[in-house]
Amino acid sequence: MSDLHNAPLAGFTVVEHAAGVAASYAGRMMAVMGATVIKVEPPGEGSALRRAEPLLTQQPAASALFHYLNAGKRFVTCDLESAQGRGLLSEIMERAELFIDDTPVSRRPALQLDAPAIDARHPQLVFLSVLPFGAAGPHADYTAYELNVFHAGGEGYLMPNGLTLETFPERPPVKIYGHFAELIGGTSAVCAGISALLVRDQVGGQFVDVSVQDANISVGCFAIQRLGDGVLENRHGRSFKYGGVLECSDGYVGVLTLEQRQWEGLVKLVGDPEWALDPALRDPLERSRRGAEINRRLRAWAKTQRVDDLVKQGQALSVPLAKYNGPLDILESEQSKARGVFAPLELSALGSVPAFTAPFQLNGEALALTRAAVEPGADNQAIWCEWLGHNTAELAQWEHHGTV
Amino acid sequence: MGPSEQAAKPATAMPPLHGVRVADFTLHAAGPFCAHILGLLGAECIKVETVERPDIFRKPHPVYGRMGAATFDQVASNKLSVQLNLKQPRGIELAKRLVAVSDIVAESFRPGVMERLGLNYEALKAVKRDIVMVSVSASGQTGPERGYAGYAPLFGAAGGLGTLTGYEDGPPTEIRHVMDHSTGLTAAMATLAAYLRKKRTGAGQHVDVAARDVACGFIGDALLQFAATGIALRRTGNDAPQIAPHNVYPCAGEDSWVSIVVSTDTEWRAFANALERPALLTDPRFASAHMRWVHRRELDTEISAWTHAHTREAVTRILQAAGVSAFPSYTAQDIVDDPHLNARGTIESRVGPEGEARKVVGPPWRLSRTPAKLDGWTPKLGEHNHYVFGQLLGLSDEEIEELIAARVIY
Repeated sequence: MSDLHNAPLAGFTVVEHAAGVAASYAGRMMAVMGATVIKVEPPGEGSALRRAEPLLTQQPAASALFHYLNAGKRFVTCDLESAQGRGLLSEIMERAELFIDDTPVSRRPALQLDAPAIDARHPQLVFLSVLPFGAAGPHADYTAYELNVFHAGGEGYLMPNGLTLETFPERPPVKIYGHFAELIGGTSAVCAGISALLVRDQVGGQFVDVSVQDANISVGCFAIQRLGDGVLENRHGRSFKYGGVLECSDGYVGVLTLEQRQWEGLVKLVGDPEWALDPALRDPLERSRRGAEINRRLRAWAKTQRVDDLVKQGQALSVPLAKYNGPLDILESEQSKARGVFAPLELSALGSVPAFTAPFQLNGEALALTRAAVEPGADNQAIWCEWLGHNTAELAQWEHHGTV
Repeated sequence: MGPSEQAAKPATAMPPLHGVRVADFTLHAAGPFCAHILGLLGAECIKVETVERPDIFRKPHPVYGRMGAATFDQVASNKLSVQLNLKQPRGIELAKRLVAVSDIVAESFRPGVMERLGLNYEALKAVKRDIVMVSVSASGQTGPERGYAGYAPLFGAAGGLGTLTGYEDGPPTEIRHVMDHSTGLTAAMATLAAYLRKKRTGAGQHVDVAARDVACGFIGDALLQFAATGIALRRTGNDAPQIAPHNVYPCAGEDSWVSIVVSTDTEWRAFANALERPALLTDPRFASAHMRWVHRRELDTEISAWTHAHTREAVTRILQAAGVSAFPSYTAQDIVDDPHLNARGTIESRVGPEGEARKVVGPPWRLSRTPAKLDGWTPKLGEHNHYVFGQLLGLSDEEIEELIAARVIY
């Protein structure tokens, strides 16, 4: 999508002041969808996420996480502790449609980043606040990392299930890899931010309060629904009665048969063994009751099978089966290639590297990554001078005073 | 209420998607969650099912251990329900008429089915020039594996998220409903962007979401690291590289846990002081972030001994007061009882048509001028047949009765 023909947010300008993953991801997705996203960092070393694991290089520390979260953005620096810095931020806010911020609530007034102050200065600006527990409520000032919000959202308590839980029933709950909960928060924030843009012509700007915890409770709503049905879920009660993770001779697959025809396909795949042809097992409720026995049989059989054969043969029989893919499988997959899921990203020290773009296509086209993240303030000249019209002497003075 | 940001202007009461109509052909979880998000934002979602092909919440789910229909379905809770049999030509014709009065179409059939039904994007564009269509599938509408069947844990497997999740000495791990719903949330995000573009340019768009790629998006950092360096991350349980403590610790009470993360030296000092354990600060094993990481299991043992003697709430209170990130591992009961979540409207109390009270999940955002909202209860199958086929599509009662008799409305 090199000409941004299908990029839905082309023409919008977003200012992002984000220290954390959730707000950074919101900016990232807006950039990937075509918005001009200007990331504002403190002068000097910039965002702490620049040095966060996993790393691309150790010395100097260059973060794969930061590059993933910040592809496609512009990078300016600006010291919001100074009046001059706040003035500069206000200048780009005036030209933007949306402002993303994850400054803790209690710190906002001092930086003039509280909702009333922003509304007074920029009534047309959508203020998208992205915080672990939101901007209002008794926990608004609580601090949290990924692990904390994952558990605050309810899914933390419920992981793991299935084979992992059977293998280690006594261990503490286990998290989902990486920054799952925070990326959910960022995605939810984009939904709310775009919604506010949709009505901006009618109602002007507004304050949009996004909580990462809320977003995770929302995607975890089945647990609340089950509670309403009288079932308080826990890790042990939530496992599928049969199917799940199967260890093969050369890796793992997942299998799940929710429909009768899928079960029948699975029986064929296993080779119509006598145990599976038991007429009683044609009844899904009976299969549920005898799930442990079915799993014992399936696991013993799977150990003699190869992953790729199982997936191909199983899918041909309409059995929902998938390989537990690693990064190499995904990068080399014909499906990923056909879908254009990866696009080249020019990383200064490492050259061109395929990077994940987005999990959707628009009008049959993959999205693009327009540029890689660069050093803090690398776009100061372009934004402060060429875009806002300040002269280079002013920029030099601000640099001298540490404002940018 | 604690610290809060007050909206500077009053709400106008109309949610942002007020007046937007969604023809919702999705079933199961991922697609319906997408339409649910649009519904929370104010769209009128018309859910299309048949007696023969009802959504999964209307029937038993034995693999999950549910032996009957669900009494309430969160992701159908703000939708209208119609019955429409797409196996009949007149059903297809009515589907097109529904699309003609809609702004957005959502579907989650196996790729190829909409085309076979004559309801693919090109066909629907002919009915409604600027329609925004969102298709949610396991692997996307194109590519050699487009026809692969899948459910949440399999999206997580194929997309690598389940592969990287689990204890370091254990197998990969299933990602459950949150995988479906995060796919739906992602689909809603892209659909909203496409709808915003439509409002500005007049041009519709087809949004094609691949659930396995949504899972890939959650490991985008690991994929980039691998592509650049050849380092393939492995499962690491609750560890985060170079950050310790970073774990879930047992508290007083059965199956009661608290998550604690200490990242910076400032937080470490605050942590040791909050525990009233100044000796931790002079212990050479814990003298730097790197040393704490190296000795993280010993640190976990020390912390567990302390947390064991306290409730989750007490640990959270003590550590948050010191500026350290700690939070209980919340059960669903904890969530519905939480004053913060009730104050925010994240949790709402609802009463059903037969007087049954329950707690439900409200909209996850607060828009100061155009608030999102949760309307209604789970609709009965076909509850809104007369409104949709009569009022919206202009059929007479006699025509509707004839279509019911002919199993077109079925």
